[in-house]
Formats: sequence, structure tokens, C-alpha cells
Amino acid sequence: MKKSAQARLCLIEAAAFVLVAVFLLPVAVMAYNAFKPYSEIMSDILALPRHGTLENFVAVWTDMGVSKLFANNLIITSIGVAGIILFASMAGYKLSRARTRFSWALFLVFILPMIIPFQTIMITVLKLAKTCGLSNSVLGLAVQYWGFGIPLAVFLYHGFVKSIPIELEEAAMLDGVSDLQAYAKIVFPLMKPITFTVVIVDVMWIWNDYLLPLVMVNSSRTTRTLTLAVYAYFGQYVSNYGYAIAALITAVLPSVAFFLALQKWIVKGVTAGAVKG
Amino acid sequence: MVISRWRKGRRGSFALFVYPALLLVLFAFYAPFAMNAFYAFTSWNGIQRAATFNGLANFKELLADSDFLASAAFTLKYALAYIALSNALAILVAVALARDARFGNALRAALFVPYILSLVIVGFIWNFILGSGFQSLAASTGWSFFRVDWLGDRRFVFLTVVLVSVWQSLGFYVLIYHAGLQAIPEELDEAVMLDGAGPVTKFFRITLPMLASSITSGVFFSLAASIRVYDVIVSLTRGGPGRATASVTFDIYTEAFAHNRYGYGTAKSLALLLVALVIAVLQLRFFKGREVEA
Repeated sequence: MKKSAQARLCLIEAAAFVLVAVFLLPVAVMAYNAFKPYSEIMSDILALPRHGTLENFVAVWTDMGVSKLFANNLIITSIGVAGIILFASMAGYKLSRARTRFSWALFLVFILPMIIPFQTIMITVLKLAKTCGLSNSVLGLAVQYWGFGIPLAVFLYHGFVKSIPIELEEAAMLDGVSDLQAYAKIVFPLMKPITFTVVIVDVMWIWNDYLLPLVMVNSSRTTRTLTLAVYAYFGQYVSNYGYAIAALITAVLPSVAFFLALQKWIVKGVTAGAVKG
Repeated sequence: MVISRWRKGRRGSFALFVYPALLLVLFAFYAPFAMNAFYAFTSWNGIQRAATFNGLANFKELLADSDFLASAAFTLKYALAYIALSNALAILVAVALARDARFGNALRAALFVPYILSLVIVGFIWNFILGSGFQSLAASTGWSFFRVDWLGDRRFVFLTVVLVSVWQSLGFYVLIYHAGLQAIPEELDEAVMLDGAGPVTKFFRITLPMLASSITSGVFFSLAASIRVYDVIVSLTRGGPGRATASVTFDIYTEAFAHNRYGYGTAKSLALLLVALVIAVLQLRFFKGREVEA
């Protein structure tokens, strides 16, 4: 029994590896060009690197001014995600527990923006941001992500709260603990799996976002983000594939590493068994 | 007594928990949307200083606009294919990877990579693969599969657009279902195992029903994504060949910015939002009734 289970797991693993390899092939074919000198890329873009080099990375890093870009990205992403988690977890939790017609209607108000294509409101978003002094500023961009990220996060929290037994909070509140304390001390820790899901999704999104930074902070070298700097290399006509791809890898890799590091926290919650019956 | 006081306190704190988030969303989406909606009743071209009010003329025109109706039909077809494919695939992958403690994390991260590459890169990669990549593969293998014009042939372009979309976003849905799988109590798994049920029975009797709330999310996210599908269209086909892959949002964008009819484009986006709202509410009601609560 155990042996056959293990064999099956190996089979699944092998199949998964092959599938993921095929899946990532289009990206990989591009990626290794970052390690080829210009002449090799020009002679055959599909060939593997013969003389591996890091010169593209070095050139791109100095050209972009990579430390400033990283600092901007870090500020925007951390402030953006922290706000989304704080506001959306509270709202999603309360809306899910309230169970009234009003809370269901509000829930719809929260999530409907997800079907609005950003391009259709882009111009007025910029107008409004300018009026409020939020454009051309790293902090201004960071706080704008709160509103844009809350709908998806509220949706996820709202769904997850249903799997947390209400008896835990009720018992605590009967003991005289306030709503806010019960939320902070009991509910929020129990929502860990979905919090990490939201953190991962939003870090990946904000770190790599293109359109909103393009509209808000592209005018100055001191406010622009890593992604904006990268995309400057991918114009209508890419003049140097090696540079463009090296820049892209520089921008994307930290967020993928973050994904790997955080994912292990999306684990089975400890609520199972906390309440009998 | 205690209970009633506690209930009262809960009502008071509703505002504290919900309204800050609500204000942020109103500011980010609803205010710009409302400011924008005004233009739907004008013939503004996006450049003029003043917009001329023209009442419901835009909406009357819209009902007879064959381009708009064709793009609505495309979007509907796209939505059905995309929602079904991405969710079914993501559930299978998430379930398969959940059993793999050693490599599951790495494989899920790998699947997420295309999701964070935006339209410029995705278009760049696939135009390259489907163009010169397939050309050289056709030359070396001789397979007719590689000779098909995947982006230029009306018969195949729909499939290409759907598959590239699924390719790009699969990692996101896998993550959603992975998180959902973590909410299934272990006792349930063990109980079924003791009953001697096979993996297929377990999948249909336990995993799938317990994933109901994740499926509601997954279907809603994919529905929302297909209603606003734009990036992948622009980067792959620019709506072509002809208008074969013009989605509603692509049509809106062309109207507003290429044809310089911002007012009419906005009227179209208002119409899209109304239809989308009805569909979204129906979907959520339908799926909500099927969820198992803990």
C-alpha cells in the first residue's frame, strides 16, 4: 500500500515537472538570452548561450540606477499591501459575519469594481489623483493601491471567514472582550492561510504592476518604478534583447523569491478540532 | 442581557470595520467611474475643452452598433471557454500539487511567473514563439501543426487567445484553489481513507464539495477577468484578423482613443458594466446556494 502510494507520487511529480517545463518553455527561451553577448543573440535568438556572460546585467543595472528603483518598489509594495490587508481583512470579516441584506449589498459594492476594466476609468483616476496631490509621488501611488486592491482581498476574506467557527469569537465576547480585540487576537491569526494568499497575490501584482505606475509616476526618474524602467527597454522596437531581458529578470526575480519564501505559510489552519460538534 | 449588549456593540463596530475600506473603494473606483459616466451622455471626443450634451443618443446608437454586438458575442464565447478551462485545470493542478510536499511550492511558484508578466512581455513572447519560433520548428520537424497561422487564421485565433490567457493566469487560480484545499479539515481526508475510498471517489465526494467556496471565488475572478479582457487581445492580435478577436473592452478602447469618440466609448463601458453587474450577481447567488459551511 505504502509503496504503491509512493510510486504514484513519483509519477505525479514526474508528470508535473514535464508539464511545468513545457509551460515555462516560452519564458525560458526568452530568459537565457539575457546571458548571451549581443553578437550571439543576433546570430541565433533560439540557441543556448555559448559564452555565458553577465555583462547585460551589469550594463542594465548601472544604466537604470537599480538601487533607487528597488527602494521605490519596496516602499510602494509594502505600504500598499499592508493597507490592503488591514482594511480588507476587517471589512471582509465583518461583512461575512453580519449576514444581513445590507451587508450582502455592501459586499457587492465592494467586489463589483473587479469587473471594471481599468483602462475605461484611467483618465478620471488620474484627474482625481492630481486633484488630491497623489500623482507624481511614490507615497501617493502606494496609498492608491489600497482602494484598488481591497475588492479582491475582501472577496477572499469574506469567503474564508465562513470556514472559521463563530463559537470562538462568541465565547471571547461573552467574556467581555471587545469586538476589535476578538478580531485582532482570535480571528486574524486564524485567517493566516488567506492572509498569506492575499499578501502573495498583491505583492506579485503591485511589485510588477505597469499601468498604474505608468499613469502616476513615470514623469521623473526619482519616482519611477522598477517595472517602468524595465519596460523602457521593450519599446515598439527592441534594440537590444540582452538588455531588455536582463532588466526583466532583475525586476521579476525578487518577487518570485518572495512567493517561494511565503508560500509555506499557506497551510492547514488550526481551527479543525478547536470546536466540538 | 449580556448577549443583547454584545449585539449592540457589534452593530456599532460594523462601521469601524467596514467603512474605512468602503471609502477607499469609493475613492478608487466609484468616484472616477461616476465622473466618467457623465461623458456617456455627451459627444465629447477626448480633446475638446467642453463636452456637448447629447442625451441618450449614444445609447440609441449602441443598440444598432454591429461592431459592439459582435464584440459582445466574442466576449461571451471567450468567457465561457476561459472560465471553464482555467478553473478545471487549476483545480486538477492544485489537487495534484497539494500532495507533493517536496516540489509543490516550487512548481506553484513557477506556474505563477506568466501571471506577473504584463501585456508587453506576453505579447512579445508569444508573437515570437508563434512566429519565428514555429517557423523554425516547422522547418526542422515538418509537422503541419507548426505551419498553422495561429494568430492570423480566423479558424484558430480564438483558440490561441483562450489558451494564451489560460497560460498567463493559471498560476493565480492554482494558488486560490491551493489555499482552499488548506481549509479542508484533515479528519475528513482520514475518514474517507479509512472507508477505503479511492482517490477518484475522494475527489468527487470530499475535495470538490469542500472546495465550493473557492470555486465561487475562482469562477467569479475568471468571470471578472473575461469581462475586462483587454491586455491579452492588444498584445496578441490587436483584435484581428479583421475584428475576429475584438472584445468589448477592446472595442470601447478603440472607440474612445482611436476613433476619438470618448463619449460614445464611455456609453459602451456603462452598458458593459450594467450587463456585467447582472451576470455577476446571478453567478454569486447561484454558487452561494451550493456552498457547504463549516
